[in-house]
Amino acid sequence: MTVRFVPQLDLAQREALAELLLSLADDEFVIGFWDSEWTGIAPMLEEDVATSSIAQDEIGHAKALYEMLAELTDDDADRIAYGRAAEDFRHAALLNHARRDWAFSVARRYLYETADAVRLTALAASTYEPLAMLAGKMRREETYHLLHADAWLRRLADGAAEPRERLASALRTLWADAQELFAPLDGEAALVRAGVLREPMHALDTEWQGQVRRRLEPITGELPAAAPTADGRTRRTDEFAWLHGEFTSVASSEEAAIW
Amino acid sequence: MIHAGNVNAPDEELAMHYAREFYGRRGESHRLWIVARDAISELDDPDLLKPPFDRSHKKPGGYIIKHKLEAAKARAASEAGE
Repeated sequence: MTVRFVPQLDLAQREALAELLLSLADDEFVIGFWDSEWTGIAPMLEEDVATSSIAQDEIGHAKALYEMLAELTDDDADRIAYGRAAEDFRHAALLNHARRDWAFSVARRYLYETADAVRLTALAASTYEPLAMLAGKMRREETYHLLHADAWLRRLADGAAEPRERLASALRTLWADAQELFAPLDGEAALVRAGVLREPMHALDTEWQGQVRRRLEPITGELPAAAPTADGRTRRTDEFAWLHGEFTSVASSEEAAIW
Repeated sequence: MIHAGNVNAPDEELAMHYAREFYGRRGESHRLWIVARDAISELDDPDLLKPPFDRSHKKPGGYIIKHKLEAAKARAASEAGE
């Protein structure tokens, strides 16, 4: 993609910034769509509304990020969101899995929200001011999402044997793929040099693991050593291909339509 | 303070989340007070809330001041004109 001129950034930095924005936007977009799969079938009516609303919040964050990216690359936010093939998405492998049962979705939301909090804190200190401001705004809403995910983590962990085991099993299943929220970006070194990214992704991963291991290991037992990998944002699954077919189905039904 | 509505929730923490989503997700609330049902004292005795006497003198509509107001305005205008 071609990128616009941004005063304080050189071309390599702008391309890296575009890659960063795409990864952030795709994470929010895809988790929003997975969680919206609970609409109508969540465990109780109130939770149905809450989960659906949180999923919409994530789509709202994705919209703001896609718009920032579109501005930078002279593109269109809707085209980026709905006009790409499944293999062109850059969300973390954590978001390749279907929603499965409630404990699985709670486990994923908890892993995602805690990692996102670390990431947003770093981005709120970015030298790229529009991103720093947006990250600060997102963090105000994500704080509440994290409280909600945390409330459910405790309910399941402190509940009967079955919910606790379902939760523990989901956390163990997702642990390795959750690291990919901090998978290295091609242009990461350029972003760190420019201060767009406060620290390298692997350092953020270490910080996050330090926080969540203490919390999760009483539930899961010892979690294996894990680290982000090079293809953490490019691996795609059949489950994601299915979701992609769902969320692009209306837009692709009449491509020339103006919505 | 108005009664926004009610939610069913297993505990106070989730009640807070659900209240926020039901009565605040569109930015329509500045503040929410969330109270468990069994902490609510109910007053529903009709003799206390709707006693069997005329209450019209306790409502602003119980006083008809239109003519008094017109007379006062006329008086003020004539005094100013002197």
